[in-house]
Amino acid sequence: MTSLPVALLLAAGFLAPIAIVAIYSIMPARTFVLTGSVTPENYVAAFTEGYWRPLMWSVSGALLTTILCLLLAWPTAKALKSLEGYRATFVTILIALPIFISESVRLFGFSLFLMPAGGILAGTMDAAFDVSIGSILNTRTAALLGMVYVHFPFVLFPLLLGLSQIPEEQREAARDLGASNWQLMREIDAPLAAPGALIGALFCFVLALGANAEMRILGGQSVTVITHAIEQRFNYAQDWPMGAALTMLVIAITALLVLPVFRRIDIDRLIRR
Amino acid sequence: MQDHRKLAALAARNPLPGVVRSRQTINRRELIAGIGAAAGVAALGCTPRDSQTSELSLLTWDAYADPRLVNLWREQTGGSLRYEIHVSDPTSVNRLRAGETAVWDFINLNNPWARKQLWPAGLIRDLPRERFEPLFEKMFEKFAPPYYWAMSESGEHLLGVVQRFETFDFVVNADVISPRTAKNEGWDLFNNNDLANRYGILAYEDWNVMDICMGAGIHPFADKSEQDFTAFEETATRWISNAKMITTDFAQLNLAIINRDIDAYFTGGTYSITSARLEGINNLYAITPDSGPADGKGGINWIELNSAVARPEPQAETLDFLEWITEPEPAWIIANGNGNLQPVSQMAQPEVLARFSKEQLAALQWDEFPERIANSVEFDIVPGYDRLYDIYASAMRARS
Repeated sequence: MTSLPVALLLAAGFLAPIAIVAIYSIMPARTFVLTGSVTPENYVAAFTEGYWRPLMWSVSGALLTTILCLLLAWPTAKALKSLEGYRATFVTILIALPIFISESVRLFGFSLFLMPAGGILAGTMDAAFDVSIGSILNTRTAALLGMVYVHFPFVLFPLLLGLSQIPEEQREAARDLGASNWQLMREIDAPLAAPGALIGALFCFVLALGANAEMRILGGQSVTVITHAIEQRFNYAQDWPMGAALTMLVIAITALLVLPVFRRIDIDRLIRR
Repeated sequence: MQDHRKLAALAARNPLPGVVRSRQTINRRELIAGIGAAAGVAALGCTPRDSQTSELSLLTWDAYADPRLVNLWREQTGGSLRYEIHVSDPTSVNRLRAGETAVWDFINLNNPWARKQLWPAGLIRDLPRERFEPLFEKMFEKFAPPYYWAMSESGEHLLGVVQRFETFDFVVNADVISPRTAKNEGWDLFNNNDLANRYGILAYEDWNVMDICMGAGIHPFADKSEQDFTAFEETATRWISNAKMITTDFAQLNLAIINRDIDAYFTGGTYSITSARLEGINNLYAITPDSGPADGKGGINWIELNSAVARPEPQAETLDFLEWITEPEPAWIIANGNGNLQPVSQMAQPEVLARFSKEQLAALQWDEFPERIANSVEFDIVPGYDRLYDIYASAMRARS
């Protein structure tokens, strides 16, 4: 009984909107009612009209971002764990602080950094070292850098949580038994920190799959990502049913990729319940 | 060095901070915070609107969100204004369709929406003609009542009041491409292979569709043949794939011109460059072609129409506000709204025109304004838009 209000809130705030989107997705294209004749045409169009390309960019971009974030987060988390007292707090705050600033503002700042000629990086190189460098602004590389920059904290902190749960005695025991650094990481750190890493990777992947601003602000729209294609259908195309069908496909793909991973995570163990 | 200083000044002073904020996609945290706030308000059993004070809610482009306008309205009437800046015309139309007629009092959109979409869908209400038509008499001659875009299809209902208007075609770096050449060449400039990878696209997508029509030699507002669709597809694919950058932020495109990263961009006009020109960056130059395929014209002229949303419980102050904004002082503020200088229909009155400084008129390329308007067709609904847009969006998806 005590869970009833939560269940109702979830039903109203989470399931109902998805149900509405699902119904829209089977309405005739470019209509605005939920009572039209049911049609699969939007899903057919999703598979036949080139939407695979933005979907591919989004999924591969999200995967690459997640991998890069994990690679960067591992040594950072280890270093943070080794810090003590106020130094650890200070560095953690430095990493966490940008999360409280609007993503667009951060990305615009990043674009000023990357800008050619008068940009912060190129301008400084020119003024201080008389070296002319090009710019990666308005390329996929810049967008990927932005994705890593924005999503890095979402991987780092769950991973840090996972690492902090490893009993030091276990590591010491492994060392006493002659484990090398590599063995220590493979046999002790990685398996025990895996739940934190998986949660971080999930956060990162799901958020990166829905990311759009990085490609818009840093990538010069060098490719179209799926969220942009969805936005186009809802806005300029005034085609809510097609936008809804693409949204449902993204939800389905996210669930397909994420749910199996989620099953492997023991949340209770992670929060030591 | 001077360019660097200008660049720094421009970067530090985004002319439209509100727009940038509003253009960002709402993220999950903001959504959750919004749901939380709405739930809190609902739990308290009150509406977000305080019924004791008169507060008008504006769904608008940036100019009407100027703090000076908000303050002047408060000083003169005691009422308050709250506003939200459009992400795009169609997004705001979506919001009214989705039931936000209960939220907004005033909407400010480009001309075709009121007549062709909002009024037929019952999303705006008509204005008393005897009160509002005399306001049109004080505007430029082209707006003499009954002005086509301010009226319903039946010609009986007045749907709004005209204020800001301008052409919106493309922008060049005048140090690289002479404005005279650009006007002569018109949209063929972007068909020239020499400009490939040297231009950007401001992704105001409905405008892009119209521009690509012009570039393909098609009248955007006339019915299309199969041949037209084929020509559009070829041009859209080429123009989109040849673009160096595509963005919804014109400040980025202006900076790219200053940095010599690009030499031109479409869609653009004084709307996207006056702030920079006021900073002294006069090589940013708005171009309206001398000629084109739209009845011999190559430019497109937008006209904003201010309308009263069909609120279930309309406020009388909405009509007062619609009339008040045409007075000289508010009209001047709106022309300068949020640092973005644009012509208003009231500049036909010497009293309003005299308020503009020489620098402001130079930034607006005011001496060319009659020529720009004369060389343009008025923004309209594009026949075959759905199909054209799908071709455009498909070319965007293929850009990789």
